[in-house]
Amino acid sequence: MRIFIIGAGQVGSTIVEALHDEHELTVVDEDGSRLEAIGSRFDIGTVEGNGASRRVLENAGLAGSELLIACTSRDEVNIIASIFCRALTPATRTIVRTGNEEYLDVWKQRQLDVDWVVSSEREAALAVSQTIGVPTARLTDLFADGQVQIIELDVQEPAPGIVGRALRDAELPADSKVASIIRGDEIAMPRGEETIRPGDRIVVIGSPKAAREWTRLVTPARRDVDDVVIYGAGQIGVATARALLQQGIRVRLIEANPVRAAAVADLLPKARVFKATGTDPEFLERERIGQADAAVFAMRDDAKNYYAATLAKLHGVQSTIAIVHDQVSVDVFERAGIDVAINPRLLTAEEIVRFARDPRTRQVTMLEQDRFEILDITVRAESPLVGKRFRDLPMTGSLIGAVVRGEQALFPHGDDVLQAGDRAILFTPSSRVQEVERTL
Amino acid sequence: MRFVSVDVLGSFNLVGAVIKYLSLSLLVPIAFAVAYSEPVWPFVVAGAIGGAFGWGLERLTTGKESVGVREAFLVVSLTWLAAAGLGALPYVLSGEDQISSPLDAYFEAMSGFTTTGATVLTDVEAMPDSLLIWRQLTQWLGGMGIIVLALAVLPRLRVGGRQLLEHELPGPEFEQLTARIRDTARRLWALYVALTFAMVAILSVFAWTGIDDRMSPFEALAHALTTLPTGGFSTEARGVESFGAASQWVITAFMVMAGANFALLYRAFVRAQPRPLIRDEEFRLYITLLAVTTALVIGELWTEGVAKGEEAVRAAAFQVTSMMTTTGAASTDFNTWPLFAAIVLVAVMFFGGSAGSTAGSVKVVRHLLIGRILRRELDQTVHPEIVSRVRLNGVPVDERTLRAILGFVLLYIGVFAVGAFALVADGARVDLDLRLLDAVAAAATTLGNVGPAFGFAGPMGSFDPFSNVSKLVMIVLMWLGRLEIIPVAVLLSRHYWRA
Repeated sequence: MRIFIIGAGQVGSTIVEALHDEHELTVVDEDGSRLEAIGSRFDIGTVEGNGASRRVLENAGLAGSELLIACTSRDEVNIIASIFCRALTPATRTIVRTGNEEYLDVWKQRQLDVDWVVSSEREAALAVSQTIGVPTARLTDLFADGQVQIIELDVQEPAPGIVGRALRDAELPADSKVASIIRGDEIAMPRGEETIRPGDRIVVIGSPKAAREWTRLVTPARRDVDDVVIYGAGQIGVATARALLQQGIRVRLIEANPVRAAAVADLLPKARVFKATGTDPEFLERERIGQADAAVFAMRDDAKNYYAATLAKLHGVQSTIAIVHDQVSVDVFERAGIDVAINPRLLTAEEIVRFARDPRTRQVTMLEQDRFEILDITVRAESPLVGKRFRDLPMTGSLIGAVVRGEQALFPHGDDVLQAGDRAILFTPSSRVQEVERTL
Repeated sequence: MRFVSVDVLGSFNLVGAVIKYLSLSLLVPIAFAVAYSEPVWPFVVAGAIGGAFGWGLERLTTGKESVGVREAFLVVSLTWLAAAGLGALPYVLSGEDQISSPLDAYFEAMSGFTTTGATVLTDVEAMPDSLLIWRQLTQWLGGMGIIVLALAVLPRLRVGGRQLLEHELPGPEFEQLTARIRDTARRLWALYVALTFAMVAILSVFAWTGIDDRMSPFEALAHALTTLPTGGFSTEARGVESFGAASQWVITAFMVMAGANFALLYRAFVRAQPRPLIRDEEFRLYITLLAVTTALVIGELWTEGVAKGEEAVRAAAFQVTSMMTTTGAASTDFNTWPLFAAIVLVAVMFFGGSAGSTAGSVKVVRHLLIGRILRRELDQTVHPEIVSRVRLNGVPVDERTLRAILGFVLLYIGVFAVGAFALVADGARVDLDLRLLDAVAAAATTLGNVGPAFGFAGPMGSFDPFSNVSKLVMIVLMWLGRLEIIPVAVLLSRHYWRA
């Protein structure tokens, strides 16, 4: 596959590293020295020039390529590159990296003609909320314009009617399916005789209403984490705050720049925003920062994050999570006692690589450290499964949770029939992704 | 260096134009006088004087297409003084003993245009109907605003209309319905006219079908003309008391509407978007305050045995709504109510209606925002680094607007205190039978453009016993209250007149 990559920064080079073996790569960047560095390490083509220039893209031979990955750190460059690409070669798939969550929303509403959008901020925010262990849905993702929701839950309550009963007899919320039961290292197939036990982690595919019902049934009302302090109200800080606030967690944001602090106070009415450096012990003491359940360090400077995190630990913060900008810092941070270090650029690159491996997959949610994936695949007419009833589909560990037929999401029962052109939203172990794609 | 940097002559010019056209409104009482065979000439002469004054003022000065930000304050302040002058002319010319003294006439006219509803009349029913309809009409014209009307109808005043409108429409922030100020003014007036017609129609139906045998089409018109501007003048000696329960409930409902934000009412009624109104934080607080204070008064009336059942509910709802929306109409003589109920009625005078309504006083939104400002102050005392915004309907409110609100409320309290003190002192000077509560209520009622006070100036009483000095004080209070003090107050500052 011929792939164009705009941007040879951290994200670009991580993608190159992952894809250079299997694919033919061309990297476009304005910075010649960066291209030289990457070109000397891998067998790829490099073009020096502005990725948002049509002439540059044309001359570089974009026409006929199969995928464009626009992953510079500038949103507008990425979007313009994808627009030119669509105009030049409509068949080429496009991936855009953005730092702005608004573009992500615009894309989800199908107002941005791009095949896939990845937001580093969103990735970081998800990683943080997962790390903090928000005991409601660990991870939720929306498919088919929000009609289908995938949630991953830790079962904590002995919910009567569900927990401890064979699945075929259990009173499951309507319009939902248990896709998988994860018990320690074991993965149990959700066959009829299987039971859900407290301590299990389950993956559910269903309507948003059913997802809410599930969350209510199997997770306790009490929260372990209720008070999170975020240092730095940049885009990542704000995205993280938003994700946590949505879960009903109290968020305190600390921002040194008064203008930015005011802007964020406007943006997030529910967050408590402080104009402070976060390294002033008197401030930390007065605001009882030490009583926070977790602190997230999302300032621009790794060294500052490191210092602030150490100070927060001294003040008694239980759990510290740092956003790092340099891959080297991950080790430094974790060795020095910071609980988790998250590199948003790396996450972004990984997401893009996952998409690049199979462009038919419209949206990919990674669950359980890459062991499972949710695929959104359109069923080909020649698939051997077309015309079969759902109860007759082979049990191989993969499960179709919902199909989107026309614009409508359906939650199939055993007697329903799979049709060509259905968008199947299915849950599958990572090892079987290729097989599933081939079959469908 | 010029001594005065404000275009005074240009402002006079505009005032002249507005008065010239306002004189046309005398055609209404002329029609009534002809129909009822009452003396026509006071209105004809008043119209002629007003027209000539306006025309002359316009000719003697040179105006411009637009009015400046600075001039707007002067124009608005002077227009209202001049309008009250025009309003007073028919009273003076009529030669009616109750009202023909120039000061009394001016008081009555100012009370009319500012939609206060305080009266110096002692026997309303002895007045000719044409004069009474003029009295009602002044309130109707003043309710939505003379300038707003001028802006909607007059061909000039294209540019700079916004400043004028902002000074006249009550409330801290003015919501534009359309991009062009003129269209907004027209729409607001159209809604105002439509609601007035609706009320006339409903009450007329009551009159024709005999649901209310005291009601007549004339009374329906007269009371609609003073309910929608939250004015409160009545053509009946005992106000709304003489009408049936059904009419009183209808009037209550229209008072509630008149105290709501007209821009939001417009969207709800005309554009069929009720959500912005229902979700509006000010509207919600407005309704809540009405409900809670009504409940308090019902409880008091019931337990004290003043009234029971539907009568207690109706009397409390009518009176609380009337006082809070600054209408000032009376369905009963609440002078005789227990002290607690009376104090609640004085307290709600300070609430006022919503911003962008025809109501006077402080306005609910200012109370709401001051509450939030205070809450933030307390928060910042404990957490000095906190950055937080005061929000209204989820939208952050500009810090400058918040300062202006604090400034307004301080001024309002200051003017009220000075006014109340002046009334007490003057009452003592002329040995008037004036209790402290009565004086306080009289100052609050005129500054808030409400209407009735307590004691001799109560709902069934008259402001006539006040001395001339006190009447003058109250004229100023009504004028200040209608224009929300600031446009007048800035005229007193040196910085206004200098470059």
